Amino acid sequence: MIGSVERKVAIVLLLISILYLVLSFQIPTFPYSIVDADALPKGLGFLLAALSILLFIQNPTEDRKKSDLKKDEVLMLLAVAGLIFVYILLFELLGFVVVTILFLLFTSRMLGYTKWKTLSAVSIGFTLVLYFSFNYLLQIYLPQGILPF
Amino acid sequence: MDTISNMLYGFQVVLTFQNILFVFIGVLAGTLIGMLPGLGPISAIAIMIPLSYGMDPASALILMAGVYYGAVFGGSTSSILLNAPGISGTVATSFDGYPLAKQGYAGKALAIAAISSFAGGTVSVVALMLVAPLMASFAVSFGPTEYFALMLLGLTAIASLSEGSTVKALISATIGLIIATIGVDQQTGTQRFTFGNPNLLEGIDFLIIALGLFALAEVCSLILSRKSKMMNGNTNVGSLKITKKEAKEISGPIARHSVLGFILGVLPGAGATIASFMSYITEKKISKDPSSFGKGNLKGLAAPETSNNAATSGAFVPLLTLGIPGSGTTAVLLGALLVVGVQPGPLMLTDHPDVFWGVIASMYLGNLFLLVLNLPLIPFIARILYIPKALLISLVIIFCMIGVYGVSFSTFDLYLLLAFGIIGFIMRLLNFPAAPLILAFILGGMMEQSFRQALTISNGNYMTFLDSKVTIVLLILSLLSLTLPVIKSKFSKKPTEEEKEHLAS
Repeated sequence: MIGSVERKVAIVLLLISILYLVLSFQIPTFPYSIVDADALPKGLGFLLAALSILLFIQNPTEDRKKSDLKKDEVLMLLAVAGLIFVYILLFELLGFVVVTILFLLFTSRMLGYTKWKTLSAVSIGFTLVLYFSFNYLLQIYLPQGILPF
Repeated sequence: MDTISNMLYGFQVVLTFQNILFVFIGVLAGTLIGMLPGLGPISAIAIMIPLSYGMDPASALILMAGVYYGAVFGGSTSSILLNAPGISGTVATSFDGYPLAKQGYAGKALAIAAISSFAGGTVSVVALMLVAPLMASFAVSFGPTEYFALMLLGLTAIASLSEGSTVKALISATIGLIIATIGVDQQTGTQRFTFGNPNLLEGIDFLIIALGLFALAEVCSLILSRKSKMMNGNTNVGSLKITKKEAKEISGPIARHSVLGFILGVLPGAGATIASFMSYITEKKISKDPSSFGKGNLKGLAAPETSNNAATSGAFVPLLTLGIPGSGTTAVLLGALLVVGVQPGPLMLTDHPDVFWGVIASMYLGNLFLLVLNLPLIPFIARILYIPKALLISLVIIFCMIGVYGVSFSTFDLYLLLAFGIIGFIMRLLNFPAAPLILAFILGGMMEQSFRQALTISNGNYMTFLDSKVTIVLLILSLLSLTLPVIKSKFSKKPTEEEKEHLAS
C-alpha cells in the first residue's frame, strides 16, 4: 500500500522525470559548445526527480474536497471533453460556422439548458458575429469548410 | 518636468479615437469576465489576446492592461453581491463586503469598493510613472547573470508565496521549465523533445498553456458548479450614496494601502491576492475595533480593494522595466507583448516610448472608465451574472478554441489545448498551483538563454555568477525566499485560522 494521493502523485512524477532524463541523454551534443542543448534538460530532470522524492517524503496532508467529485459529474466532464474532441476533429472539415453552432447547441443542452429558442438564437448569432468579425475585421481566417462564405 | 512631458506624450498616444476605444473595450471586457466567478484575470487576458493580433504594440498592451486591471476591479462586484469572488485578488473583499450586502447596503459596499479601487489604481499609476524610469535606468547595466538571478528570484518567490505546499509549487515551476525546453534550441539549433513532429519545432505556444491551464480548467470547475445559479433574482443593490463621515472613515485605509499595495505589487511573486490579504490583516491589526471586521466594517472593505488595484499597477514595474514578469498574470501579459513583437525591458523606454508611456497614460483613463462603469452602471453590468452557466461554459470553450486556432491555424494545437485543459483540472484537484507553471514556462526560454550566455562569456567559469554584487544579492534573496514558507508556517497560525473562519461564515 503506497498510501496517500500525494505519494502516488510523487511516484508518477518520479517516473516522468526518469523518462525525461532518458530522453535528455539522447539529445545530440556538439563538441565545441560550452553549455550544450542537453545541459538544462538534464538539470531539470534531476531537479524534478529530487522534488518528487521530497514530495513523497514530506507527504503533505491537505484538506481537499475529495468527495465533491461524484461519478456522474466525472462522466459529464468526460462528455464535454469528448465533445471538444469531436469539435476539433470536424473543425477544418465542416468549417467553423457549422461545427460551432452544433457544438453550442449540443454542449449547452447537455449541461442542462433547455430554452431551445434562446439557445438557437444565441448559438447562431454568436457564431456568425464571431466568424465575420474574425474574418473581416481582424483578418484571421477561420476555416470555411463546406459553406460558400 | 521630464516626467510631465513624457506623460503628455503618453496621453498623445492614448487620446486617439482608436486607443480610447481599446481602453474602453479592455476595461469593459475585464470587468465582465472578472465578475464571473471562476474566471480569473489570466483567463480574461488569454481570451482577449486574439483581438490584439495585428494591432500595433501600444494599442495591444493598452487593451490587455485594461483587461487586467478591469478584471481586478470587476472581481469585487461578485465578491460583494454573491460572496463568490470573481478572482482570487478579491477574496479578501468578500470578508466585509458580503456582510454589508446582506445587511442591505450592497450599493454602499459597491460604491466604496469602486472608489477605493479607483483611488488605489490611480495612486499607484502615479507611483508607476515615477518609479519605472528609475528602475529602467538602473537595469540598463544588467548583464545575463543579473537577469538569470532575477528570474530565479521571480520563480522561487512565486513558489514560496503560493498557497499550500511549497514543494508542489516548485514542482509546478519545474514542469513549466521542462515544457519550455520542447522545440528547437535557440542557441545550437538542436531539436529537443520534438519526436520528429513538425508542430513542436517552435515549441508550445504560451497561449495554449494559458488558455488550457486557466480558462479550460476553470470551465471544468464551472461545469461542476453549473447547477447553482450565479445570481438569485435580487438586482436591487440599494443606494450607492456614501455619507461624508463614511468617506472620512475610508480615506485613511485608502491612503495607506495604495502605497502598501503598490510596493507588494512590484515585488516578485506577490501580487493582487497577497496584497489584498496583507492589507486586510494589517488594517485589522491597527484598528481600534478589530472585532467589527468581518461583520461589514467599511475599512475592512476599503483596504483590500485599494490594495489589490494598487498591486495591479505595481506589477507593471518589473514587467515594463526589466521585461521580467513577477506573477502568472503579468507572465501572460508578457506573452501577449511578445506576440505583437515588443520585448519589454530597460530599453523599451528608448525603443518603444509610445508603448511605455502610452500604457501608463491609458491607465489613468482606464481607471476613470472603470469608476463610471462600476458606479452608476453597476446594476446593469451585474446582469451578466444572470447568464445561465450552461450557455456561458460552451461560449468560453469556443473562445479558447478560436484563440489558439488564431495563432497557429493548426488543429494539432487545439488537441494540445484540450490536453492542457485536462492537466490544469487535474492540477487543481491535486492542489498544484498553476501560476508558477505559466511563469516558469514564459521565463524558461529567457532563463536558459541568459544562463548559457553568462557561461559562454566567462568561458564556462561558474564563478561568473559571483562577480556582480547585484547578482549575489539576488541569488541570496532567492535562497531566502525558499526558507520563507518554513518561517511562515511557524508564525502564521493565527491569520490563517481567521481567514478560514471568514471563508466559512
